[in-house]
Amino acid sequence: MKKKTAGRIAGIAAVAGTGATLLSELGTVPPWLGIAVVVVTFPLFLLFLGLWWMARETDADIPFLGY
Amino acid sequence: MIGDLLYLIFAMIFGLLLLGIHRKVIARIQRRPGPPVWQEILHALKFSFKSTWIPQTASDTLFVSVVLIAIGIWTAAFFVVLAGGNLLIIFGIYMLHKIVEHGFGLSSGSPYGKFGGVRSVISAASEIPLFVSVAAVVIFTGSLEIGDIVAWQEQAGPLILAVFPAALAMYVVILSKFPFSPFSIVESKEIVSGYKTEHFGVWRAGLEACNGLKTYVLLLTFIAVFFGPLPFLLILLAMILITVSISFICAFSPMLSPFDSVTIQTLFTGLMLIYVVYLGVYG
Repeated sequence: MKKKTAGRIAGIAAVAGTGATLLSELGTVPPWLGIAVVVVTFPLFLLFLGLWWMARETDADIPFLGY
Repeated sequence: MIGDLLYLIFAMIFGLLLLGIHRKVIARIQRRPGPPVWQEILHALKFSFKSTWIPQTASDTLFVSVVLIAIGIWTAAFFVVLAGGNLLIIFGIYMLHKIVEHGFGLSSGSPYGKFGGVRSVISAASEIPLFVSVAAVVIFTGSLEIGDIVAWQEQAGPLILAVFPAALAMYVVILSKFPFSPFSIVESKEIVSGYKTEHFGVWRAGLEACNGLKTYVLLLTFIAVFFGPLPFLLILLAMILITVSISFICAFSPMLSPFDSVTIQTLFTGLMLIYVVYLGVYG
């Protein structure tokens, strides 16, 4: 997976989770909906954050094939 | 609610710290220096920096989705306990976790993973009936809602004094989920790392995060149900004390064979059934 894609998914998950939490705090959405969104987005955020920070930005080394 | 999100992250990290304390105490009892107490937190971070791919023999979708589901179900369990929700939901999530463990094992295509997956189902057959102990809690408190049970204890004192055998049964359930426990047959060394053998890199980091959260949620449930309302710092202290007591058991007892593990847990369940029937008739 490309670093940019992983970063975008982690970012969207973080914004969705925090947004849903804020909206349920303001009373715009019911609390159960806020929690349900966090239950879905928190694992996505964690996993894709990991995939984002370990992803290579450059191509991998060409393995040594012998002389 | 934002506070709850921060508490969720704290719970995950503190759960990993508890697992680190567990390893340290076992090591010191066995006269080894052991890893530092924050080793499990470093472990999760270390795995997240390792190169990550999906083995050729694995079922791609299942291999990745089980990690997401594992973290998701314990996040849900955390919010259920926080909201003082129903105990049966926690037990349902515990059962789901067993199915997820099974999925972990089968998704990789590795024989070690498969053995771990099969063992998780075997152990579920003997661990889940231990939840019969909640019947004793209901007989006294008249409710399965964690909030009601905590409120009942505010008036009548800690439930552990009234239904000690039920607390013991729940303690065995928690003991079964700790690494290196006598009942930890799903990840014993003869099958490498059991169901999680092939999950490495970021997948394993996710699994470690889930383990931290699971440890915290199970201990929090145990404390809420059997000790009642406690200040936050006292809850954390109680968690550490329970963890240390579990570490002592793990350090002094060998890991049982699957057959012995199931037999002992079934024996506990039988005793609990007799106790609950006794409470129901004479209590």
